Amino acid sequence: MMVTLSEGAKRSLDDYLRQARTYLRGSRSVDADEIEQNITEHIENELEGEAEPVSYDVLDAVLKKLGSPQQWVPMEELPWWWKIIYRLRSGPEDWRLAYISLALFVAGLLTLPYAPVSIVLILAGFLTSRAAISEAGDIDKIKAQKWLLYPPLIVVYLFVLLALLTWPLALLIPLADVYERDFRESYHYFSNENDYWFVATPAILAGLGLWWSILAIVLLKPRRLLQVVFRPFAEKVRSKWALRLLLIGLVLMILSAGIGVLYYQDFI
Amino acid sequence: MYYDIVYFMDAKFFDNWTNQLRKGVLELCILKDIRNRKMYGYEIVRHLRKIEGLIISEGAIYPILSRLKRQGLVDTSIQESSEGPPRKYYKLTEEGEEMVSQMNAYWQAISGVTDSIEKG
Repeated sequence: MMVTLSEGAKRSLDDYLRQARTYLRGSRSVDADEIEQNITEHIENELEGEAEPVSYDVLDAVLKKLGSPQQWVPMEELPWWWKIIYRLRSGPEDWRLAYISLALFVAGLLTLPYAPVSIVLILAGFLTSRAAISEAGDIDKIKAQKWLLYPPLIVVYLFVLLALLTWPLALLIPLADVYERDFRESYHYFSNENDYWFVATPAILAGLGLWWSILAIVLLKPRRLLQVVFRPFAEKVRSKWALRLLLIGLVLMILSAGIGVLYYQDFI
Repeated sequence: MYYDIVYFMDAKFFDNWTNQLRKGVLELCILKDIRNRKMYGYEIVRHLRKIEGLIISEGAIYPILSRLKRQGLVDTSIQESSEGPPRKYYKLTEEGEEMVSQMNAYWQAISGVTDSIEKG
């Protein structure tokens, strides 16, 4: 460039030419180097006679008249894989995050046999999706990007939801075993295999029912917490969902008590 | 609301239509511009920007020139310039010359057709 540019203008021009080069290299019908040379020559001619160093505003007016590379060669002319590379390298920040998120998620799925690597990749995809949604601010702004952003979110949220609902089983099953063993030792004629289920199952159901009831009561009020954790899917969470969970918890506890009463009645 | 949607659809249709038309016309104008004498890229832009509504983004001329060159319709030559670095000049090839004649004839015919439809 023969003309002297200000620092801001120089950065802007470098960025513009880099974007144009990246975009045009995807098209087989044109010579990207030739076009870049012509564009540079065009800018030099347009800036001739301007006070040096040329300011950002003066250069920006020239670049605006030149237009964006997408206006020069229609996006449809580019192969699909080049569109992805272009959006990753020079697209708007929000699209870049969406593509990175999906790429990490897919890489996570492909490396499933190598569990630790896979988990790290899926979690990275999840965090990138959340970052993209936070960046967008308003969920309505992400539009088509949701097809790229939602897969890692759905997988992680389902896992978290399942863990949140069933984690007491990890404690209850061993506890039920201990309880069953104590019971067997106390009552020697406790020998039928089916008796295990009459002792252990009500204990597990009661514990699970109690946990779901507590969880439902907690979720009745601070729905904001749920909305933050499961964003953007919990935006429309209603109290009736928590009430349903409470109802299921209570039914489980009643069922457990019922089985217990029936069993002990026969047993004693 | 209804009128807003109709207006939006009309505007979008018109935009699409003018974009498609402009693309074809711009190619013809570039070829015609360099028909009689060789010109460098910026010179072509400067010339065509005078035609109102023809160029939306000036940068679009350069990929068209590059495509026309790849298609063998134009050729380039480097020439020294007294005002700065050497310039790349574009000129029509024989194939390009034939193409312009065909495009021109088609353009004349097609613009005549729209007139004759209106007259019934």
